[in-house]
Order: sequence, then C-alpha cells, then structure tokens
Amino acid sequence: MNPSNGNGSMSTASSSGAWDGRDQFPAGLRVLVVDDDPTCLMIFEKMLKACLYQVTKCNKAETALSVLREHKNEFDIVISDVHMPDMDGFELLKHITSEMDLPVILISADARKQVVMEGVTYGACDYLIKPVRIETLKNIWQHVVRKKARNTV
Amino acid sequence: MEVGQMQRRLVDYTKSLFMEGFLDAQFLQLQQLQDESNPDFVVEVVSLFFDDSEKLLNDLTMALDQPNVDFKKVDAHVHQLKGSSSSIGAQRVKNACIAFRSFCEEQNIDATLRCLQQVKQEYYLVKNKLETMLRVKQQIVAAGGSIPMIELGF
Repeated sequence: MNPSNGNGSMSTASSSGAWDGRDQFPAGLRVLVVDDDPTCLMIFEKMLKACLYQVTKCNKAETALSVLREHKNEFDIVISDVHMPDMDGFELLKHITSEMDLPVILISADARKQVVMEGVTYGACDYLIKPVRIETLKNIWQHVVRKKARNTV
Repeated sequence: MEVGQMQRRLVDYTKSLFMEGFLDAQFLQLQQLQDESNPDFVVEVVSLFFDDSEKLLNDLTMALDQPNVDFKKVDAHVHQLKGSSSSIGAQRVKNACIAFRSFCEEQNIDATLRCLQQVKQEYYLVKNKLETMLRVKQQIVAAGGSIPMIELGF
C-alpha cells in the first residue's frame, strides 16, 4: 500500500515550511502515522482528521522512512506503532532521531514497563497504549511546540 | 416491525452488548467519529476488523499446528489481534488475547491451543452481535428512521 495523504496527494502538504501553529492552532498539524494493522491505521487516520490535522498514513516503517527522507520539512510529528514486521517502531525512531529533528510518538498495545522504557530512552517524546482515545491525540501538538522551544534555546 | 419498535430494539440490544462486556467505551469513540462526511465509518472499520481478524485467526491456527511451534510468531499475531480488537472496543476478544499472550510466554502448547479456541469463540460471538446491530441500524435507515443516540453514562 502506498502512503496516502488525507488531501489526496503529497504535494498539498504545507510548502511554507514549519507549522508555527499560531493562526489555526493546532489545526493543520502535519502528521505521519505508521501502523501495519489496517484497522488501527484507519481509526487513527479518522481520529487525527477529526482533530483537523493533515494526515499521511503508512503501513510500513520502511515506506515511512523514505517518505520522511524525501519530504523532510513537510511533517511536524510522527506517530508509529512499535511492533511491525519489517522494521519496528524502535528502529524507525532511531533513524528519525539521528537523521531529522522530528518528535516521534510511539503507540502499542504492549504496556510492559521495559518496552515503554526502551521507547522513551531511545527518544520517543511519548508512548501511548492502545486503544488510543481521540482526546489524547488532540494534545500531541504540545510535543511539537516543546521541541521547537527547546531547539531555539 | 415499525420504526419505533426497531429503534427500541436497537437501543436495548446495543446496551446489552455493553452490559455483557462484548463492547467497551472505545466503540463509543468510533461512533463519535462517524459524521455526515463519513456516514459509513463504523461499518467500514468493523468490516475491516472482521477481514483482518479472520486472517489473523487462520495464521494462528496454522502457526499452532506446526510440529515445532514458533511462539514468537504466535505471540506477534496475538499481539496484533489484541491491538485491533482493543481499538474497536471488542473487549472480550481483547481480554482473551491478554490471557493468550501469557501462555505464549510460557510456551505452553496445550494452554495456547485452548486460548485459540477461546479467542475464536469470542470473536465469532462479537462478530455475530455487531452484524446484528448494524443490520438493525440499516433497517431503521431504510425505513426512513433515524438512529437513536445511546446514553450509557460512562
């Protein structure tokens, strides 16, 4: 499956650079969501769109990584499942933190402390346990703002 | 059956699904996501869940039927089913998966086979009930009625 932008094509993602969020705050947040489970991916996409975010979905970590590499400044945040067959969420997280400056939220049905610890230690800005409620997704813009604030210090 | 009767039947039936633990609050999240721009969202997600789960259950059956069971693979499938069932609010399926995973960790072949039967049973039960519920909704809409809001006090 190819990644599909909520608006129908990659080129409609904001080309004015970073989302500064002041005007339509936090609508328009550009999210890349990665999950190999089609049910979860469909639900996430709908929830994120209901938050008025601009959503691109991927069912493979490898695909997500190449999308991010090719369209570096077109995303504000990545949400990724942990357990995926080809490349897991931790590996994707490591690539993203070393290659680009994007906040990454990990999601999993696995709530075991050692797994959560691993995610956070590797640099995930948050680790959410499935099932995720829409109220939680409404707050993810905070991670984008926090990261930007830290970067400008 | 006239529309009022169908609507009452739907409300009672839906409430019973929550009371009996087949569905939990996450299902309400899905219903809240449905709107005019996407009036079939719940049907679409539920159908996707059915297709995906049936595949997973087949994969699980095959994986447990091997002479040397790969418990890591079994666990991965159960984990996925746990994730998707919890995301649509299929509580009893999710709970059956939780039990399943603990036996996978123990690599207990007899217990995992029993768990598989349990998960399958819960899955087919909730599938049947969701299909009934969605069918009654369709009948109401076809008869020109509106879908009643369910007050559940979560």
